[in-house]
Amino acid sequence: MGQVTLSAAEDPHTVAELEDLAFELRAKLLHLCGTYEGAVHIGGDLSSADIFTALYHYGLHVDPSDISNPARDRFVLSKGHAAVCMYIAMAMRGFFSYDGIVDTYGQLDSAYGMHPCKVQLPGVEASTGSLGHGLPLAVGMALSARGRGESHRVFTLMGDGETGEGSVWEAAMAANSNKLGNLVAFIDRNRQLMTSFDEERVVLEPYPDKWAAFGWNVVHIDGHDMGALVAALDGLPATDSDKPTVIIAETVKGKGVDFMERNLAWHAGSLGAADLERAMAALEASREKESV
Amino acid sequence: MPETFTFGEMLSARSVIGTTLAELGETNENLWVLTPDIGATLVEFRDKYPDRFVDVGLAEQACVGIAAGLAYDGNIPVVSGMLPFLSMRALEQVRSDVCYPNLPVKIIGTHGGLVGNGGSTHYAVEDLALMCALTNMTVTSIGDPLMVGEIIRQSMDMQGPIYIRLAVGKKDKVLYEPGQHEIRIGKGIIAREGTDATIFTHGTVVAQALDAAEELAQDGHSVRVVDMFTLKPIDEELIARCAEETGGRFVILEDHLAYGGLASRVADVVADRGIHLTAFERLGIPQVYAGFGDDEELRDKHGYGLAATLAATRRVIAHA
Repeated sequence: MGQVTLSAAEDPHTVAELEDLAFELRAKLLHLCGTYEGAVHIGGDLSSADIFTALYHYGLHVDPSDISNPARDRFVLSKGHAAVCMYIAMAMRGFFSYDGIVDTYGQLDSAYGMHPCKVQLPGVEASTGSLGHGLPLAVGMALSARGRGESHRVFTLMGDGETGEGSVWEAAMAANSNKLGNLVAFIDRNRQLMTSFDEERVVLEPYPDKWAAFGWNVVHIDGHDMGALVAALDGLPATDSDKPTVIIAETVKGKGVDFMERNLAWHAGSLGAADLERAMAALEASREKESV
Repeated sequence: MPETFTFGEMLSARSVIGTTLAELGETNENLWVLTPDIGATLVEFRDKYPDRFVDVGLAEQACVGIAAGLAYDGNIPVVSGMLPFLSMRALEQVRSDVCYPNLPVKIIGTHGGLVGNGGSTHYAVEDLALMCALTNMTVTSIGDPLMVGEIIRQSMDMQGPIYIRLAVGKKDKVLYEPGQHEIRIGKGIIAREGTDATIFTHGTVVAQALDAAEELAQDGHSVRVVDMFTLKPIDEELIARCAEETGGRFVILEDHLAYGGLASRVADVVADRGIHLTAFERLGIPQVYAGFGDDEELRDKHGYGLAATLAATRRVIAHA
């Protein structure tokens, strides 16, 4: 993947190892959701946990001990409300400690809050949170890489809901117009907004066709199939190619915890001790079911 | 070259943007220029550095976001376009993508004030209030076309974002001989000395303030004109000095809403520092959508033209 000097991991993980890491990421998410009293965007964190795992433990060429290396891949979290999932995935990759996140999350002077801030947390590539901003930022970074003749990639992760923002399509046109083959947009296609299911009020389909019509290389996968995520990352076109890639990952909001799955009540929330135990049991059960 | 122009001549501020950026592109290899389809005066830069020129078409929000992405990667992006759209349609991108992480994005644009006869969709009259409200943003409004080049040059070394407002930018009167004044972002210019009152102003109406001061001089009045081209951070010391040296008599003249722009910035300094004033009058656009007409007609109609400036200045001077 690319010709950069950084390796994704010392030894590339197997799909089975990545699945274990995704389980651990979900467990850590639930633990934080069970100990922090305020709301955590747990639904959208769980839907994107496999994507974050595939990125931070497989696809992204980054080095936690050298966060400013110009050859690193860039990752812009467009769906900023999934910041917790990103923080924990980064912690598991060695950027910072999980304990530091869970002990201080949302508290005064903590670097870890609901939406990521680069100024407060170096290692995060961009300050985001307001929806529809990540793709334009990633386009700028990809243009910059092109201008410098560098061969790293720029990744972003959007929620499908936020692609209702006009700025997303403005940037989609700019990416195609500027032939940014070094740009990769993941879409967490969980088909759920905060207050509705997305085809109910806002019709996004035919969704892959829309991206294709905007000139993008479209990859459509099951976003909870780690093998498919790995294959999508392995199959990315060369960074000097001329079509940006969108990986539309079909996901389930709340994935892995049965009472949260496809449940509008769990867009964001907080688990008490009892519910944390119930959620952990559900997560375990779901893992056993899937490994059968 | 711009240096050949002298006081009173007309010059296109837009072409100064183009020539300055083309010149700066040579020494600043990380200078990028972006525009939402307002790139006619940027062709020199585009032709010299096609790989660092991006025209996104009609997409102001993406334009500002893309500029922020470039700045995150160590570049110096300049976004050039029409200010009504860069300051309002892309306001959230300016705030969240540029100002929040304090990136060195320069926003340079035209159509500040009631210029161009485009009607109210095309007048930037709230822009300075909006930009001054943004943390980390430096806000300027330039009347002298030769200054445009100087301000762009100075802004290259700035860490954070800057907003550079021009009028229509096609035919602007040269107000200052090159080298006549020290021009420094954050410091006002005493465009004309005087002791009876100070007219604080910026942008396209500096020329009108100078005309008013000249006419008042015929009646024996000594009126100071301050070109407060940086609204943020504002030159507080100069405001305090003017209060002392011109009898605490202030007129604020601006091509912007009368509330929220320079007058409000000056009033804040006066209140915060406990400066004693004898008289304070603000001349600007009232709360109306202004309609059509040329610049001068609109200023007259809405009460901040030359006649209104003369009347207001006479009133403050008459104040004991």
